[in-house]
Amino acid sequence: MDVEVDGVLVAAHELKAPLAVLRQLALSFDGAGHEDERIRNEMVNVSERAIRQVNDLVKIKRLNDGLFAMEPVAVREVCDAVGRELKYLFREHEREFTMKFSNKTRLVSANRELLYSVIYNFLLNALHYSGVNTRSELVIKDVRGKVRVDIRDYGPSLPVNVWREIKQGWVEKPLSVAMRAGSSGLGLFIASRFSQYMGANVGAVRHRDGTSFYVELPISKQASLFEI
Amino acid sequence: MIFIIDDDEIMASCIKRAIKGEAKIFGNAIDAMVEISDGRIPDLIFLDVLLDGPDGFTFLNETASYSDTAKIPVVIVTSLDLPRNDYSAYGVVGVLKKEEMTPEDIRKYVNEYCK
Repeated sequence: MDVEVDGVLVAAHELKAPLAVLRQLALSFDGAGHEDERIRNEMVNVSERAIRQVNDLVKIKRLNDGLFAMEPVAVREVCDAVGRELKYLFREHEREFTMKFSNKTRLVSANRELLYSVIYNFLLNALHYSGVNTRSELVIKDVRGKVRVDIRDYGPSLPVNVWREIKQGWVEKPLSVAMRAGSSGLGLFIASRFSQYMGANVGAVRHRDGTSFYVELPISKQASLFEI
Repeated sequence: MIFIIDDDEIMASCIKRAIKGEAKIFGNAIDAMVEISDGRIPDLIFLDVLLDGPDGFTFLNETASYSDTAKIPVVIVTSLDLPRNDYSAYGVVGVLKKEEMTPEDIRKYVNEYCK
């Protein structure tokens, strides 16, 4: 039994209850003014993001149990859904988010729930490192027989040592990628573990003015209904 | 009357606030069962699963064993990832996840079962 991961699991369960309470308290808050409503929404959103991370940590433990079935997943639909969920956050922080795709019907072999978390964590990371009035870009394209989802930010570039670690494959643990100021690398760790489970590759590209993180997913052999 | 059975006082009070009506909070399943045994049958129960002492499913087993309590509608309110089983044999009419539910979700059940 992996004692370290079990400790994370216990901590995750312990954290979930107070976070759920905080969210309920925020939802119960009856402030009437515009500013009150803004604060209320922010409290709800912050607690929901924290709950999502806690749930992702629980899922990492469950990966060992093989509970997440692989299935044909419409990658664009997942990216759309994540984009919708995080749209408000980009707006609140005065950032822009754009999405481009070369094949809107492409199906990949993945688990939808895990893929959602991978895209969510990459996009949140991009938001975190993008400056005010800059944009983050999500691009879906075919690359060497796989589908690549590439998420680009215009923040500080990755340190070379961290970039090399990511290039080698997947991320061992969150602290090994305390990669840019203000980050524990937890989101990338989660994305990396989920991607590995799905047989997908994660990677990063350093730019002079930012970083791209990507996940490459195997194309599903099942034909999309839209292609028939 | 609505019963809320949850050992987390703050969560229980949030549910009570969402109900916007008469509701009684119990911190454990035994106190709620005693109240029901005394003849005070609630119209609806919001039930947590992980409780101090007997858990929510022990409580459900108990209520399902008697004809007068078997039909009490119960909404499970939990942070656990419960399997998507059919719990209707226990009177369960819905499952709410604590980290996802809204006051509107709670009121939906109140409006449906406490007319």
